[in-house]
Amino acid sequence: MKARMSFLVPVLGLLLSAPVFAHHSFRAEFDSTKPMEFVGTVTKVEWFNPHARFYIDAKDETGKVTNWNFELGSPLQLHRQGWRQDSLKVGDQITVEGFLAKDGSKMASASKITLADGRTVFNGPSTDGKPAQ
Amino acid sequence: MNRVKVLRSICFLLRWASAQPYAPEQKISMGREVTHALSVAFCFFASVFAAFGQGERGAITGTVTDQDGAVVSGAPIQAENKKTGTIFKAATSTTGKYTLEQLPAGSYELSIPRPEFAYRRQTVVVHAAQTLRLDIRVEDTSLNTLGEDRAYFAGLAASRTAPTATAPRTPDGKPDLSGVWQLPRILDPEEPPVLPWAAAVIKEWTETNGRDFPRGHCLPDSVLLMSRFGINRFVQTPTHLVILNEADIPGYHQIFLDGRGHPEDLDPTWNGHSTGRWEGDTLVVDTVGFNNKTPIYWLVVGGATPHTEKLHLITRFRRPDLGHLEIEITFNDPGTFTKAWKMKEISDLVDNDEVQEWICNENNQDVEHMVGK
Repeated sequence: MKARMSFLVPVLGLLLSAPVFAHHSFRAEFDSTKPMEFVGTVTKVEWFNPHARFYIDAKDETGKVTNWNFELGSPLQLHRQGWRQDSLKVGDQITVEGFLAKDGSKMASASKITLADGRTVFNGPSTDGKPAQ
Repeated sequence: MNRVKVLRSICFLLRWASAQPYAPEQKISMGREVTHALSVAFCFFASVFAAFGQGERGAITGTVTDQDGAVVSGAPIQAENKKTGTIFKAATSTTGKYTLEQLPAGSYELSIPRPEFAYRRQTVVVHAAQTLRLDIRVEDTSLNTLGEDRAYFAGLAASRTAPTATAPRTPDGKPDLSGVWQLPRILDPEEPPVLPWAAAVIKEWTETNGRDFPRGHCLPDSVLLMSRFGINRFVQTPTHLVILNEADIPGYHQIFLDGRGHPEDLDPTWNGHSTGRWEGDTLVVDTVGFNNKTPIYWLVVGGATPHTEKLHLITRFRRPDLGHLEIEITFNDPGTFTKAWKMKEISDLVDNDEVQEWICNENNQDVEHMVGK
């Protein structure tokens, strides 16, 4: 696990009006000043409301393995954008960018997921639910 | 014509009159001197007055954009005079522009009181009779989560090509509002005129990043008939209009169209009690009987205000053509607002999607981790 100081999600289109949050306030739970990057193996995917989640085992600089809990949008939102609950699978080797929970727990909000082969998952729309180039 | 031009015109006329030669038969020479003296005095004081009115104040104007360069509409901006503590407020327009006017010259602390915007307060100096140009770039940190990111909601609310054919009517000749309607877009938003106690609550919400909003606890937040968070289906019958919303809790609103009034023994509830009647082609929905447990999300971009049980909503729906729905909401709540205020919205017909399911309390892990600050 290593920290990244610069982090931007590319977004297309003009945003004139959008909700501040879908379920809860982002900043009430996550720290936007703590963008992090994790490398690990997917151990579980939860396709539940109000947020889909996935968990990874990530190794830090000392070799210690920690299981991290990552928040996604809701299944409704992900499905509408073409993603399916098997788009990310247990055992996938991934790199995750996200923001840490403020309370210090092993939780984070996922903002980018990249598979070992460079394809991405849940980033933008999908036509077939499979990782995108 | 502004007051400066008026004063200048009067001054010119007085000077002109006092400068005219007297007719030979005019014998009161003192009158000319007095007129001239008065004109000079008036013009002096007028110029001082005009200079004071114009010159002691300045303005700040600019455009607010986010980290992607997109303009940010409806964002509140405030400038606090560092000497007097007076706060001047404005909001960005739909093109992201703002103007803070009539600011007495001095130092101001500029801020954007919106929790999702990472924007460091900055001090600016306003000079007399000058307009300071200040474009502001904020980082919107609220919508970075994969799946419910900014692009997703932009897609839900984005203006789409909707049919402009004649709006449908029911067999009894009433306009038929039925259909799937996208997340409404607010037109020309204005900030609610809140009383001091409500302003204090909003300040606390801002400081705690909306930690205690009921929605995070899977409780209703649906004071408005069309949710801020997802698409809607209107189902209209001769006696009812039912609005289904995929992101609402519990996910529906019912509006009685059968002519009944509100019950006399109305118990305050989360969604209140709604009745509707037709004024021409406009459906006027009257809603009362709210509890006071929810914020009103008056802006889709995040503005929220509390309310009391006195809240009385009047929502006017009009379908000008097949593909568009106009909404005007009037907020009456003397317990919260200094006067009634309105919000206008528009929604486009959705022909390729349906209201879907969202069961909030299935696995809500967030509550215990929402620390706020």
